[in-house]
Amino acid sequence: MAEKDVEISFKKDTVSKLLSSFFKEDKTKLSGDATLLMVEMLKVFVQEAAVRSQKQAESEDCDQVDIEHFEKILPQLLLDF
Amino acid sequence: LQAAGGKELKAAVHYTVGRLCQKIGEDHRRPFSRQAIAAIAETTFRQCDIFAKDLEAFARHAKRSTVSVDDVKLVARRSTALSIHIQNKSDELTQEHMSLKKKTTAKRKNTETEEESRE
Repeated sequence: MAEKDVEISFKKDTVSKLLSSFFKEDKTKLSGDATLLMVEMLKVFVQEAAVRSQKQAESEDCDQVDIEHFEKILPQLLLDF
Repeated sequence: LQAAGGKELKAAVHYTVGRLCQKIGEDHRRPFSRQAIAAIAETTFRQCDIFAKDLEAFARHAKRSTVSVDDVKLVARRSTALSIHIQNKSDELTQEHMSLKKKTTAKRKNTETEEESRE
């Protein structure tokens, strides 16, 4: 039987602290569910960055994904988010 | 005034980004260079600033001080695929809340019935 993949994701606590550190006002808080959704959102962001970089490296026949590949896809990535 | 925890948060982001990239690298049989991972991690960290500011603005616009699920859905609005994904995740969470509520209510009712029959 194939072993189930352990799902990699950001810790809820990390995301909560991270986003909170960028709020302009002290009174702004994050609801629990909003934090969970942001955990998901960040995961998708990273996956998109990584997969698009992979495709770029592939189109250039490279056997490693280098920073140049990421830099090329970055503008569109930011526009899409 | 920035908390000293700033470096720890960056490191935590870098760690998870690294693991995600490692997995995707394995899936595609093409590893990521250390520099590439660091760049993705840095970008993700900076993107959180943008997300946070937007979330705060949306909540404030709705005259709330607590960022809600609706605010997150707005942040995800630019991409249809992302919006749908977030909506699905949100529905999942709602389902979990409802089934948890049912369990708690059922438990309480059973306990009450037991107490009645004892008298």
